[in-house]
Amino acid sequence: MYWRYCLKRIIYGLITFIILIFIFSTLFNTTMEKTLKSQIEEEIRAETLKMDTKMTPEEMTHFIAERRTFKQHLYHLDKPIWNRIVWRAINVLSLNFGKATIMKSSAGETDVWEIISECLPRTILLFTTAICINIILGLLLGLKKAQKAGGFMDKLTSIGTMVVYGMPSWWLGMLVIMFFAYQLRLFPSGSLHSIPPPTGLAYYIDLLYHMALPVLTLVVIGFWGSSYLIRNIVLGILQEDYIMATRTRGIPERKVLYGHAMRTAAPPIVTMALLSLLASVGGNIIFEGIFSWPGLGNLYWISIEQNDIPVLMGNLFITTALYMAGLVILDLIYGFLDPRIKVGGRR
Amino acid sequence: MRWLDIKEGFRNFWKDFKSIKFGLFGLFLLFIFIVMVIINPYIVPFPNASSRWRDITHWEDNPVSAPPVWVNWFSSVKRAPSTIIKEYTFTEEKKGNLTLNKLIFEYEYFYDLPPLDIIFHSYVVGSPVIILSMERPDGQVITLTKRVISKIAGKDIRISIGNDSRTESYNFGMKYENPQQNRIERELIKPTKILFAEAKEGILVKPSSLQGTYKIMVDIILPSPNDQVSKSTLFISGGVSGWLGTDSAKRDIWSGIVAGVKWALLIGLLTAFTSVSIGVIFGVVSAYLGGWQDSLMQRIFEIFVGVPLLPVLIVMSAIFRPNIWTLIIMMSCFFWVGPVKTVRSMGLQIKEETYIEAAKAFGASSSRIIFRHMIPLLIPYSFASMALYVPSAIVYEASISLLGLGDATIVTWGQILHDALRGGAVINGLWWWVIPPGLFIALMGMTFAFIGFAMDKILHPKLRTR
Repeated sequence: MYWRYCLKRIIYGLITFIILIFIFSTLFNTTMEKTLKSQIEEEIRAETLKMDTKMTPEEMTHFIAERRTFKQHLYHLDKPIWNRIVWRAINVLSLNFGKATIMKSSAGETDVWEIISECLPRTILLFTTAICINIILGLLLGLKKAQKAGGFMDKLTSIGTMVVYGMPSWWLGMLVIMFFAYQLRLFPSGSLHSIPPPTGLAYYIDLLYHMALPVLTLVVIGFWGSSYLIRNIVLGILQEDYIMATRTRGIPERKVLYGHAMRTAAPPIVTMALLSLLASVGGNIIFEGIFSWPGLGNLYWISIEQNDIPVLMGNLFITTALYMAGLVILDLIYGFLDPRIKVGGRR
Repeated sequence: MRWLDIKEGFRNFWKDFKSIKFGLFGLFLLFIFIVMVIINPYIVPFPNASSRWRDITHWEDNPVSAPPVWVNWFSSVKRAPSTIIKEYTFTEEKKGNLTLNKLIFEYEYFYDLPPLDIIFHSYVVGSPVIILSMERPDGQVITLTKRVISKIAGKDIRISIGNDSRTESYNFGMKYENPQQNRIERELIKPTKILFAEAKEGILVKPSSLQGTYKIMVDIILPSPNDQVSKSTLFISGGVSGWLGTDSAKRDIWSGIVAGVKWALLIGLLTAFTSVSIGVIFGVVSAYLGGWQDSLMQRIFEIFVGVPLLPVLIVMSAIFRPNIWTLIIMMSCFFWVGPVKTVRSMGLQIKEETYIEAAKAFGASSSRIIFRHMIPLLIPYSFASMALYVPSAIVYEASISLLGLGDATIVTWGQILHDALRGGAVINGLWWWVIPPGLFIALMGMTFAFIGFAMDKILHPKLRTR
């Protein structure tokens, strides 16, 4: 039954994504068309410069008008508004984001998809690394907290959770850069690797060295929250009757915790890990800009600064796709780990 | 549910709440923030900071990028703090049509580093001549600058010694300096450094400060009896300034921070209130109606869940350039999904209670059942989640402002941080510009986290410590 549940969930996800893309296309239609029109004018100007100069002014205006109608037809600008929105949404769904106005990928391409696909893996690398470390630390601390709930350490770390609750990660990033990169000069202040990038094994060491500060910041902000959640999950399970039963059977506490409680706690903890990854994409992404980590978040900064609308839009669509995919995967994993969903075939 | 029940419920809730120490601490912090908003004009030097944050003339008498005053307490080198001198001795002398006014300001200087600038401000009518000179503790008198004003009908004039007395102070320094050894271009000197230095060799290149009482004398020649000079003030723009220093645009950061409190509270509370209200009503209605209406509402909910919040807010802000109110509406549009799932499951439970059935049997309408019998039960939960939504609303606004997309007519902590990032505060180590705004965001977040977590602890007794 699990595959049926999978299929259903994926189809639901796709439909939601398509609806979202339509909503975005409608919302930002005016701006995107304005950019498109100015791009067309730019192209026509470039074409006229290439033409031989023997044309009379009348011929010239005629030529420009002709090219303009042609291009507007090409980009469906002569169609009614609903037609245009649908056309744009379909374009986006087939990963055709058009061309950037100013920005270029590192290979010199102006294609928006090229620019974004270059940044995507870097964002995933940074945030997954941080979340993994987060969860490991959170597990270690959270289990300790749950074991001695109400103890001194539990109280202290719970206060810590609340202290960092509303702290913006990018602000901590600014402080960390100010202190470690500019005062102590221990770490680089940003970017992916040194210039020029070293080759071979040294490249990866260099990458880790550059990743150290952003990951450290994310972990310092994040592990309090994850340990608190894990504590709550585990504590909830430890109060179940079957744990009481195992305890009365004389099974050692360590085994109760790791063997029995953890097995039940696994699905919610995995969910939590994925959710915090998604939350990073949904709420933390501009953090990259502070460290000039050239991922999707940094792309938002640059495209806003340079007012590059096609890149900004393409970035939004990709981030949404990533986010939706994450939500679907989350449900699939949850369904896989939680047998009740598998049997029921329904959520 | 009657009003009395709510009151009773609230009293019980408060009894539980009182026993949670960090919850009370949160309330205390919130109280301090509210007091800060109320007494704002009395605790900051620039009460108009909120409305004139981007008006450079409002800040022109402050020093550039000066550290906070209390840095002196921890430093062996004391810098002169910014002050305003309003008191002066006044003498008047008449010679025919001419009137000679003499104003003497006294400045006590007992620091190691001189102020960055001394600025004379006055309200002038007519065409007076203003001559500024200074008597140093060692008895030297230096004529600093002379300003001839031609026919103005009443205007504020500003004479900056730092800008206008470059030649005079250079000449004064050259009298003592050894020109063979220590040569320095006139454009490179800092006038106040020379004026507040001991008159000996090295005054230009390595000045050592001369402490004592300085007299800044202002001679005003009024050619006609109608001319007048009034409201004279001397601004010392010091090496340290205000409780939190100044930024590179001479703005007083403490004033900006305090002005930001009310905006943060407004953004946080309003967004949290609207979105949680929408979410709770949506969840309860969905649970109560059931059937196809429930499914439809859940699909709508799922579409909103699929939206990556910050990216969408960024793009919308970049394109629509919202002001603070539209931003709050935009945030509420996406924030409401948070409580829906929990509220719906709670609603499904409440729906099965017998008193709901009884109300139905009496012929109560759906809206009456939802609003009078179901939602009141969810009020404690709503307040807890509202408290926990406040920090995220503030952080989202700050993130958008950090990108430079905030409302330019107000001042928020995120905007101060945006300016700090742009002004190179991180690279130059201007920590007093970077730390306070973020610290206040974090403190505000902490306040509501304390309150929210305390409420949460009361509502979920299962997670209470054993």
